[in-house]
Amino acid sequence: MSQFLDPTLEVSTPKQSGHKRTESSYSTSYSVLDIYETESPISARSPTTTNNELGDEIMRGLDELEFKDLSNDNTLFASNGSETEINSNSNLNLNLNLNSNSYIEERIEYITPINNITNIKTILSSPYDMYGFKKKSNLSSITPEHYNQWFEQYSQYLLERKQKWLSLMRTNGLNLPNDSTIPTRFPPKSAKVKKLIRKGIPPEWRGNAWFYYAGGYEKLSKHNGLYKEIATNGVKNKDSDVIERDLDRTFPDNKYFKSNDNNEPKMIQSLRRVLTAFAHYKPQIGYCQSLNFLAGLLLLFMNEERSFWMLVILTERIIPNVHSHNLEGVHTDQGVLMLCIKEYINQLWPILGKSFDGQLIAEDKILSNLPPIALVTSPWFMSLFVGVLPIESTLRIWDILWYQGSKTIFRIGLTLFKMSSETNEFQELTSTNSSQNDQVELYQFMQSYPKSLLDPNEVLGNCFKKIGGYGYGSLSQAEIDTCREFVSKQREKLNNKKKNTSIAVTDEERQTLLLGQDVHDVYGFHRSIMILQIK
Amino acid sequence: MAEVSPTTNRFAQFKLVLLGESAVGKSSIVHRFVKNTFDDLRESTIGAAFLTQTITFPETNTTIKFEIWDTAGQERYKSLAPMYYRNANAALCVYDITSRSSFNKAQDWIKELKRQAPEGIVIALVGNKSDLAEDRQVEADEVEEYIQQQTSEEDGNSRIITSECSAKSGEGVLEIFNSIGRALPVEEVINASSRGRSAGGARQQGGIDLARARRQQAAAANSSCC
Repeated sequence: MSQFLDPTLEVSTPKQSGHKRTESSYSTSYSVLDIYETESPISARSPTTTNNELGDEIMRGLDELEFKDLSNDNTLFASNGSETEINSNSNLNLNLNLNSNSYIEERIEYITPINNITNIKTILSSPYDMYGFKKKSNLSSITPEHYNQWFEQYSQYLLERKQKWLSLMRTNGLNLPNDSTIPTRFPPKSAKVKKLIRKGIPPEWRGNAWFYYAGGYEKLSKHNGLYKEIATNGVKNKDSDVIERDLDRTFPDNKYFKSNDNNEPKMIQSLRRVLTAFAHYKPQIGYCQSLNFLAGLLLLFMNEERSFWMLVILTERIIPNVHSHNLEGVHTDQGVLMLCIKEYINQLWPILGKSFDGQLIAEDKILSNLPPIALVTSPWFMSLFVGVLPIESTLRIWDILWYQGSKTIFRIGLTLFKMSSETNEFQELTSTNSSQNDQVELYQFMQSYPKSLLDPNEVLGNCFKKIGGYGYGSLSQAEIDTCREFVSKQREKLNNKKKNTSIAVTDEERQTLLLGQDVHDVYGFHRSIMILQIK
Repeated sequence: MAEVSPTTNRFAQFKLVLLGESAVGKSSIVHRFVKNTFDDLRESTIGAAFLTQTITFPETNTTIKFEIWDTAGQERYKSLAPMYYRNANAALCVYDITSRSSFNKAQDWIKELKRQAPEGIVIALVGNKSDLAEDRQVEADEVEEYIQQQTSEEDGNSRIITSECSAKSGEGVLEIFNSIGRALPVEEVINASSRGRSAGGARQQGGIDLARARRQQAAAANSSCC
């Protein structure tokens, strides 16, 4: 295998060797961004200085910087402008992907834009939705009739939203030549943009908007050409077998992923290359089942190279370690979610916080002994609600996730629990006269219920609405970061103890792990904020 | 309707977990058993899937409810595995008869279960995709050889159920669950339950959580798939 495949060599690939760059040459352009990028629980960032506003401000600053560069010398990033010259006269229709990535031009547009009545009618009469998924899914009870009934209304909503976005673009000086142009550049983060994001990005704009707000351009320009090198050379690696087994099992219900007449669809070829390249670039992760769904969904909205970098962004800063070899991040984030439930939907904890033998798990043992409900919630993190909720609901969550980061997963997680707990089925399953044997029925229900949530506005309204909603939009990233840090440290201690002594941690030791402090401070929750909003 | 007699109420619930390499057909076996359906391409399972199904043994008037914990197959999900097989009464270790490596993997799972799982857990070693016999890599006699070896190590007290099936054609699937049902300590659970010892979640040797056992309405027998 070629030496180019070594990810440690990424900054000195032959193509870039004549263009000397030191770490410090990045610093002026990227230092602010790097602060924003770091979302890991073990970040250097002090929890007290972080909140939404700071993040927003940094992004605003960044945008100004980029626009200035753009207008002054027709390059996008000062630090490696020579590689990112913009070859177009238009300052909007930027070809940021460069000529070297020729496959980008060949990309098929998979999304049917909902911008006129004809397209809406096409979708209504087709067995497939606007993304190529079968309306009738084997995984839920939703029928095509049910889907159409919803879509007739939702398509009108999409038309309305599109107008709002076009007007937002205009007020930000980002005029589009016509309404069917897909922008590559978006307004800087602001309260206004956040509001629009929560109401949904126009489906055909999604790929570009996700990439833009997640910091994709920064990644791409830092590692220009790297994906192509890896993808061309790294066609096979030690994860290839496992990847191969999952390719056909990624969205078999989507027409773009389904093979016909023994011809492998382009989409499957792309998926293979992205997953293989990712496994190569991130050997500490390799291939983990669920990455196939993440990459697959990204590929419906953007090209291979961008999908690849979005996976990198996701695993580096949004859900670090979730896909690693020991899935430590899954355990950490389940711990955080359990503590969130205990804190913010306390009335559900006696039901959800039960161990296998039906006993409530003591507070000091939650992290070492996660309740089995964590098996239901782990896919929420691993595949970011893909397959958990109907596709449009998942995509609406992704709109917010790429803009706002990991707190979104916890906010939605709480919302799903709260919504299910308000159903009759949940009440029956957990009523006092039902036996603990029904625990498995509860898990089953918790898996099937979200699949029925066809209308994204219901889920997101419950999560974010100030009036009539649950108020989980107040759960801050700082709380999540502090809690993640706490949980991951506790788990580290527990793991070390287990390793060194090879005996279980005693109750006494577990107690001392909590240091006898006020637990709310330890976990990092701001309960006072929530108490006002949750009845 | 059958005559309602005290014995028609005989009911026991057991937890069954599926283990095995990815893409051997664990979820397909479960779907064949629970829904009697098959999809050529089934999405990879992420985390776990929970399903239930009951079977009835008319000769003993007994209904067994399986709570099925279907798992993701990839190696790294092993860190979640203890959550699956804790309290499990039965385990289906599945391999693909056209893949030798999956057979080795299934053996690893059996090793792990013997080390970690509750004592007395009923283990079945199941070769799926028997409809693809022309691509067979795992022969029946090597399975038998492996079982002989295991049994001698174990003083013969915990024989592993072996079987082949095809989730695609449905052949052999029900039989596996029937064999497991017969191997489970049903009487023990029902008796313990009828002696009113079901409260408190006490566990007995043999890995049977007595709290799981309970009587249920005769109606439960209606959902039998036998």
